[in-house]
Amino acid sequence: MTEAEAALAPIVTARGLRKKFGSKEILHGLDFDIPAGRIYGLIGHNGAGKTTTLNAILGLTNCQGTIRVLGEDPFARRANLMENVAFISDVASLPRFLRVRELFALLSNIHPNFSQDKAHSFLEGTDIRPEAKIKQLSKGMMAQLHLAVVMAIDAKLLVLDEPTLGLDITYRKRFYRRLLEDYMTEERTLLITTHQVDEIEFMLSDIMFIRDGDLILHMQMETVNDKFAQLVVGDEQSAEAARTLKPVYEETRFGQTVMIFDGADRETLASLGKVSTPTMSDLFVALMQRPTANPETAK
Amino acid sequence: MRAFIALVRREQIEHRGAFLIAPLGLVAILFGATILAFTVGRVDARFSGAMMTLAPLRVFALGFLGIGFAWVLYLIATLFFYCADGFAADRRNNAMLFWKSMPVSDLRILLAKLVATLTIFPATIYVVSLLSSALLMAVAVITSNISTGNGMALFGNIVDIYLQVAGSTLLALVLGLLWYVPYMALVGAMATVVGRWAIPLSLLLPSLLALLEWVTLGGLSPIHTRVWNYLAYRSDFKLADGYLESWFHAEGTFSLSEFASDLIARIDWVQMGIGWLFAVGVIYLASEYRRRYNDN
Repeated sequence: MTEAEAALAPIVTARGLRKKFGSKEILHGLDFDIPAGRIYGLIGHNGAGKTTTLNAILGLTNCQGTIRVLGEDPFARRANLMENVAFISDVASLPRFLRVRELFALLSNIHPNFSQDKAHSFLEGTDIRPEAKIKQLSKGMMAQLHLAVVMAIDAKLLVLDEPTLGLDITYRKRFYRRLLEDYMTEERTLLITTHQVDEIEFMLSDIMFIRDGDLILHMQMETVNDKFAQLVVGDEQSAEAARTLKPVYEETRFGQTVMIFDGADRETLASLGKVSTPTMSDLFVALMQRPTANPETAK
Repeated sequence: MRAFIALVRREQIEHRGAFLIAPLGLVAILFGATILAFTVGRVDARFSGAMMTLAPLRVFALGFLGIGFAWVLYLIATLFFYCADGFAADRRNNAMLFWKSMPVSDLRILLAKLVATLTIFPATIYVVSLLSSALLMAVAVITSNISTGNGMALFGNIVDIYLQVAGSTLLALVLGLLWYVPYMALVGAMATVVGRWAIPLSLLLPSLLALLEWVTLGGLSPIHTRVWNYLAYRSDFKLADGYLESWFHAEGTFSLSEFASDLIARIDWVQMGIGWLFAVGVIYLASEYRRRYNDN
């Protein structure tokens, strides 16, 4: 593969990705590509297979089918791959017996792409001191430290699995702002899973919804905005008229009927009520309740 | 190599309590107690100093050997618990996933733990044992001087004995570690799979194997089986036999060269080689388990 071809090749390629735990199949043959320079959100309910998918990408579990990350088999070549892939699996996963400076010193010897200077600079303006013991840091400080560690790694792919779990809103906002401002470049790809989907919506370029081991939605955010529409109607007559356009989801909020449409004409919808683009969480709830993302009515 | 050394250093930092702080604390307590005993008159400096002049070199050699032996016992206990716990320590607080995010293989991480078991931990305890002996020597020389006024006259001979015993302890430690490496690797490998359950399991395993042989192949009893006999042979380092025993019963100064040539001649090098192959094998199997299962 030439350098130009390598630059155009997807960072992650999965074909027929399957995973079984005992007799239960968790992933049912996923097919997807993740191109370079994108920010992907992998969204799914608990037990949908998000972490298993990430583990397959990170070489932490062996799966059936084919998966390639930066052109390599992650399970067979995990150690090599981790030179160009960084991940935060859980904010609490930093080794607690170390001090911050000890952690940085060790990493600068263990990881060829880790920069101790960068890590220290990312901690400037925080309350984390180099002499601090990691076990004595608060959960928020530990998340900041972990983010500083992964941002100081010059990686091509950064995977974040529920990185802000258990953090308050201030830390969560700061975490994602830091990530966008100080880390993301065109050469880097970011893959995030979280339940707080609305908080990362602004930064995503692509979205993947996973439900019960199947990918039910995989598209760019621009396409999502074009394809899905939310209609709010106040009267029953308009609601009945809207139902004929086959909404994929419908619910009642404060006496108003809220419907989500897949591929409906926005002008037609506008004549029936207020039209907007659904938030990711609304779309997620809508799509989680039907068999596939293909146009199909909820009722 | 840099990454490997850093991984060994990580083990040292994580377990500095057992292998550095606690031993130094023990030395400080014992030294403090000794000083206090002289200070409050619990031990008579003149009497004990006079005792040292009866057979000074032998007393010192026995003292140094005794201290070395005590620290070896401490080392055996801490290494056993390290292997049974330290090999599974990455599971704590989800840290396994952090280490898996580093560009180092599971085999490399487990080998680093085994290398730490064989190098940096014993080396630390060895240095502490030298320090203990040096403090003993200082106390003995000072009390001899108080009692007889010629404690310093023996100083050169005492230092010579100190060096002879220190060299012998080092050699015995190195060869002992090399001899027992399959045991350490087995306990570490079991800990990788079952965590701290490796402690009872590693104690049960020999009995279970012997019992299995006795049940299937027969014999007088489980402790009269080939498995039991082999494990008994493989567990015996034979340090106390040979030169050490004859020196203890005879007169004469302790000699490092005689101790070393005797010990080296009595070691079963073939069994040592087999032990090493076994150790590398079980660590490889454990690393494959660790590669496949991310238990936290």
